[in-house]
Amino acid sequence: MSSIPGLGIAKGMALTMRRFFAPKATIQYPEAAPDVAVRFRGRLQLLYDELGNIKCETCFQCAQACPVECIDMGGFDTRGRFHVHWGAAEQYAERREESALRRSGRPVPDPAYTHFDPIDTSAVDAILQKYDFDRKQMLAILESIQAAYGFLPVAALKHLSQVSGAPYALIYGTATYYSHLRFEVPGRTVAVCLCTACLVAGSGRVARALAAELGTEIGRRPAGGRIALEQVPAHIPGAPSPLVTLDGVPQPVGHGGAAAWARALAGRTVA
Amino acid sequence: MRASMTSVLAFARDLPAGVMARLSIQERIAIIFTVLAIGGAATTVIAIVWLGPPLTDFLGANQPLVRFVVAATAILMLTVPTAFVLIYLELKVIARMNLRVGPNRVGPWGSAMSVIHGLKVLSKEDFAPTGADFTVFTLAPVVTYMASVMTLLVIPFAPGLIGQDLNIGLLYFFAMSGLTVVGLLMAGWSSFNKYSLLGGLRSAAQMISYEVPLTLSVVGVILLAGTMSLNSIVLAQSGSFLDWFVFKQPLAWLIFFIAATAEANRTPLDMTEADSEIVAGFATEYSGMRFGFFFFAEYVNVFIVSALATTLFFGGWTAPFQWPWTYNLNWFQPLSFGFFGWLGILLAGLLLGSYFFGLLARLVGGRTWGLWPSVTMGLLVDLVVMVGLIGLAGFVAFNWVQGLVWFMAKTYFFVIVFVWMRATLPRVRVDQLMSFAWKWLLPASLLNLFVTATAVVLLNR
Repeated sequence: MSSIPGLGIAKGMALTMRRFFAPKATIQYPEAAPDVAVRFRGRLQLLYDELGNIKCETCFQCAQACPVECIDMGGFDTRGRFHVHWGAAEQYAERREESALRRSGRPVPDPAYTHFDPIDTSAVDAILQKYDFDRKQMLAILESIQAAYGFLPVAALKHLSQVSGAPYALIYGTATYYSHLRFEVPGRTVAVCLCTACLVAGSGRVARALAAELGTEIGRRPAGGRIALEQVPAHIPGAPSPLVTLDGVPQPVGHGGAAAWARALAGRTVA
Repeated sequence: MRASMTSVLAFARDLPAGVMARLSIQERIAIIFTVLAIGGAATTVIAIVWLGPPLTDFLGANQPLVRFVVAATAILMLTVPTAFVLIYLELKVIARMNLRVGPNRVGPWGSAMSVIHGLKVLSKEDFAPTGADFTVFTLAPVVTYMASVMTLLVIPFAPGLIGQDLNIGLLYFFAMSGLTVVGLLMAGWSSFNKYSLLGGLRSAAQMISYEVPLTLSVVGVILLAGTMSLNSIVLAQSGSFLDWFVFKQPLAWLIFFIAATAEANRTPLDMTEADSEIVAGFATEYSGMRFGFFFFAEYVNVFIVSALATTLFFGGWTAPFQWPWTYNLNWFQPLSFGFFGWLGILLAGLLLGSYFFGLLARLVGGRTWGLWPSVTMGLLVDLVVMVGLIGLAGFVAFNWVQGLVWFMAKTYFFVIVFVWMRATLPRVRVDQLMSFAWKWLLPASLLNLFVTATAVVLLNR
């Protein structure tokens, strides 16, 4: 670059020496406030992990904290089952195109987005009356609602938020924190034993047939009300192979009739 | 005092009941310090009464030995604060060059930062990997650090202020700084880690390669001065700054500076550590104060290399010019107040000065300055002023204070140049590093040696 050897070094050294005396870029934050606009709150954006999945857990903490309620959000809950949202969907959510579709009366092309079913909320009102609309009793209220409906319907929680004035985020947070509270209609569990004896007797084929019929596979969490397919943790002593259980009770399923049995079970449960 | 007395009494009373467990930390510390103080005082008295006369006889009979031990201890004690100052300088100067502020929270202008660093390193877990050769692993930082410290023994800080004026001082210096390589190799080998071993070998290769031109570049200076004693080399440069060897040996100075950069493992030639690229090489497996010693040795090395550059090429402790005025300190002689007289003057100065500066702070600061803040401020300002005055008096009155000031000023100039280089220059590649040493520096230093030798022979004829 330069014809004189060492000139580059001299230039670099001169630059750093000038920088030494130049004004500094550091802002001593607690003592000196940075010079930004009064209402500047930084840039809102959702972060992605290294796999490209969005890291937002839809916990609503930001929406709850937002003083002007400008944050609207929607997404799936942490277990990937329910579409939840905060704020008016028509404003920003899901986002404008779908909102426009919905307003124009056309179906929204998002199969995962289903509005919660309306329910009879008189039970919720009675429970709230009993607890004097006290949001500090939230856990007890939620337990009572679950006792009344068998699970926690989203409509009940929305109604609870509306009537008691408790933020939906608080209710939702409490409901998702405790593992004994559930949002789904309690479903049934079919389990296949995959021990060596059962595999020899053909439980692998049985498991595949069951998975095909139930529309799921071993280990996947089913959506609410659907039948879950699991693996029997240990072979029940004395039970015949291949072993299939329904809610822990051994079922008389031979390796030929698994598909028919599953079809009958699915029909019984869902329909 | 009262707390410690009650603690001691309680300790004596409840001794069988295991009272130590029931005491608070403060009480335990008070007890331990009381016991230590009483024991220490008693031991001192006994030592003076019993061993005093034979001890003084022994010390008087072995004055060179005593001098050596005292000098070595003093230099060992000197290195830690020096490393602290250098680390602080590096943090602060590089920060300013990066348009940052640097440490500014601990102590005034962050000056206690490196002390905090040292305490942090001390408080860390002392860890040795499984399979490490524990003896060598433990000794490696000691060897590295001691190699750095022992070189300081022959550096003349000021007239008369030298650890040991060896007639082979320069040779001793390079022999001792060569020991650093042994320490690094020990660290790399004993860590039971192939990366550490590679790092150790790489640093050994670098340092040995650069030791050759480093040592050869200095031979020209030895030829000119006719001695290897560093004190004599400094004396050979006394006069004005035109007598410095840097003007007679510019090529040697250039080679020396580059090779010394590599020898002290400083950017751009810090392949040994290369903290941003490789895992710190030989020091990978080190933690706590073991690592701290490597860390300190690095900064002590910077100081040593700067001190050697000052000594060999920039006149050491000699002043760069003669004062255009002379000062006569004979008026100092009649003012002989004796020890207690001077002590009284100092105390009076402290009191009056504190009062004066405190009043000044009160006047300038107005009502925001309360009584105690202004008194404290006055005391601090007065202390600074008095230390400055005493230093000025020493500078005028004592030759060695003057020499020390000049020596430290020159040395710290080069320290800052090293830091400045670290803030500026990117690191070179390892093959560039090695080929530069062998293909350029070594021939250049040989050329310099031959030219100097020829000139010395011709001019002396």
